[in-house]
Amino acid sequence: MNHRPTARAGSVEIIKVERLSKQYGSGANSLRALSDISLSVSEGQFVTVVGPSGCGKSTLLLILAGLVSPSSGDVWIDGAAVTGPLPEKISVMFQEAWLLPWKTAVENVEFPLMLRGAPFAIRRPRALSLLQLVGLEGFANRYPGELSGGMKQRVAIARSLVQEPRVLLMDEPFAALDEQTRTRMGNELLQVWEKFGRTVVFVTHGLTEAIYLADFVFVMSARPGRILERFHVELPRPRTIEMIGNEAFGRLRNRIWHLIGGA
Amino acid sequence: MWIVRTSQLLVVAIVAGLWEAASQRGWVDPNLLPPLSKIGSVLFALLHDDRLLSDLALTITEVSAAFTIVGPLGLLVGFFLGEQPPVYRALGPVLHVLLATPKSIFLPVFILAFGIGFLEKVIFAVTLSFFIVLLSGIAAAQSVPAGLVTVARSFGATRLKLYLFIYLPAMQPLIVEGLRMALIFSITGVLLAEMYGSAHGVGRLIFAWGEMFRMPELFAGVLLIVMITVAVNELLRVAENVGRSRRRGF
Amino acid sequence: MIVRIRRLLVRLTLFLAFVGCWEAAYRAGLLNPIIFAAPSVIVKAAVKDGWTFLAAFRVTVLEITMAILMAWCFGIIFGVIAGSLPILARISAPMLSAVIALPLVVIYPVLLVWFGLGVTSKIVFGTISGVFPIALNTLTGVQSIDHGFATMARAMGANRRQIMFRVMAPLALPAIIAGLRLGTALIVIGVVLSEMLASTDGIGFWISYHRSLFNTGQVYLGIILALSITILVNMILSFVERMHFRGGDERFVR
Ligand SMILES: Nc1ncnc2c1ncn2[C@@H]1O[C@H](COP(=O)(O)OP(=O)(O)OP(=O)(O)O)[C@@H](O)[C@H]1O
Ligand SMILES: [Mg+2]
Repeated sequence: MNHRPTARAGSVEIIKVERLSKQYGSGANSLRALSDISLSVSEGQFVTVVGPSGCGKSTLLLILAGLVSPSSGDVWIDGAAVTGPLPEKISVMFQEAWLLPWKTAVENVEFPLMLRGAPFAIRRPRALSLLQLVGLEGFANRYPGELSGGMKQRVAIARSLVQEPRVLLMDEPFAALDEQTRTRMGNELLQVWEKFGRTVVFVTHGLTEAIYLADFVFVMSARPGRILERFHVELPRPRTIEMIGNEAFGRLRNRIWHLIGGA
Repeated sequence: MWIVRTSQLLVVAIVAGLWEAASQRGWVDPNLLPPLSKIGSVLFALLHDDRLLSDLALTITEVSAAFTIVGPLGLLVGFFLGEQPPVYRALGPVLHVLLATPKSIFLPVFILAFGIGFLEKVIFAVTLSFFIVLLSGIAAAQSVPAGLVTVARSFGATRLKLYLFIYLPAMQPLIVEGLRMALIFSITGVLLAEMYGSAHGVGRLIFAWGEMFRMPELFAGVLLIVMITVAVNELLRVAENVGRSRRRGF
Repeated sequence: MIVRIRRLLVRLTLFLAFVGCWEAAYRAGLLNPIIFAAPSVIVKAAVKDGWTFLAAFRVTVLEITMAILMAWCFGIIFGVIAGSLPILARISAPMLSAVIALPLVVIYPVLLVWFGLGVTSKIVFGTISGVFPIALNTLTGVQSIDHGFATMARAMGANRRQIMFRVMAPLALPAIIAGLRLGTALIVIGVVLSEMLASTDGIGFWISYHRSLFNTGQVYLGIILALSITILVNMILSFVERMHFRGGDERFVR
């Protein structure tokens, strides 16, 4: 449990962003979404990104994923410059699971492997073991329409792990869930993460969630989004619900809250 | 938005231009596809022709008769069904079978039943339109927000006021939609019945022109029908959308 | 499975009861024999003129098949292209629905002059009757697919072809099939009606022929044959749909 690669100074830098800017459209209609963002994330870290609504968090994530190209600046992931999707290094999750409705849970999980032509004998066992990891072994043959919102997102987590990516990008993955489920899903995500030690970049609106999950919290300014500050969360792992009530947690939460509010 | 409208006009203009050019320059046989300009002048002349005007008047009368019957009838029955879920549930399957059955294939039966004439045309057009209008009526009744009715009741609205000030405005877009359906299906029904068997009416006239290879008149007739239908249809669609866009703020 | 068999049995019983009542009412003299033909009269008509109708049926089915092929191809291709280009969709959708509102039957005389009394005019008219609703339905279906699916597929490493055929096409399929249902019904009606209006062969021709002779049984026989084509096509489409969407997603249950 405790041998996961933690956030140690001097560990390998896996995500590197330099002077990134993004402008949507051109001319009079243009909109500056991101302005001069530089950041770096070390391998195995769990970082969260918070900021006011519309500040460009999703845009940043899409650029990291290679799904949107930046107006200027560079992104490297695992040493490779990102110019398009890198499905074997990066996986993405959104607020909605986007499961294909005509495929069962297990077929959805193995879909990325199918796209690459992996044979059934390889992809099916892997998909099933990942479903087990997210606690859905009994639902492998259910269709998305028969699953709850939380279960769908669990399938999506399993699917995002199936190509064994180095980096998981998550854009408010639990925002559409109720409070209870969201907290539970957060804990489960942490367990999965501790087991695999992948790097996670997690965008959220919830400050509590952001602090609870993260090694580092990046705080962004209102549009055009910039990185205002990076906070190190020094709470021990594994995290427990009780930590949310303690004083250090509260202080950090207040600082971030004022930073966003005053930005 | 203007770019969409302009492009639509442009498409129409290009088609018209190609048509004119193809016919004028002999790319196609002008006997089979007369130039638009010629069709236009024939149409203009026809509009002063007593024969066409009387046929047109008959067709319009038939369409109006069918429309005045089926519009209110379909909407009222539909409203009733939509307001009475048990009845709707009981009749639903039968309704859907009837809705899915192509009615126009039964046109010969209407002639067997009513002979060829005004009554047959109107009844056929009513039958053709009825179920579509009925659907709009049902949808209209179901589109009234239940909360709105409850609130109005709590203010002590009488039944009449409830219908007048809550139901009617709430259902307006779907009522207009139902009327639009009633009208276009009545037009189709009457024209089809006229073409199939009739001594008078624009449908008959168009069919006869075809049989006599009088292409300019034939195209003029088709153009007339197209213009009337498009005008009527767009008008009602605008009315429908006015109701819809006003409510977008809700 | 058992539920489906039971439902089938219920429907069959209802149908037989309906036929029985019809026959009884006819025998009791409640139905005007010129307007309504009893089941027994239709059977008699089938025995007498069955071969003629069967030969005509083949002609009609051929025309319908050709019209279906053309209307499905053009409709789906146009709908997919226009549906994936927002500007084209905004321009063409209102135009398509304006055309759908037209009483298209008025152009049939033109087609008669151009293509003659034979099968070609029926095929063309059938195609025109069906192609616009198919195009409009496909267009709206493709247009309403959420971009999230495509983004997700791209992130998972799908290439353009895979996104098109493995993600977008299946997502659009329910709307496309709904359009095909509607369009195909219109094609069948269009072909039979055009045969009824002017032709030398086909189901519609014989319906009209026997109508003028007041042979009500034969008229109904023809109508039933024409309706059976619609039902058959619908069954095929339902089957395709069910094969593809065994899932329980509410968007795919109808
Ligand atoms: N494809 C696009 N084209 C044009 N503008 C866009 C596009 N995507 C996003 N924007 C704009 O860029 C800005 C940043 O959007 P983004 O979705 O990245 O914000 P966000 O921080 O994720 O917001 P939220 O917290 O509401 O999810 C917004 O003003 C948005 O309107
Ligand atoms: Mg966002």
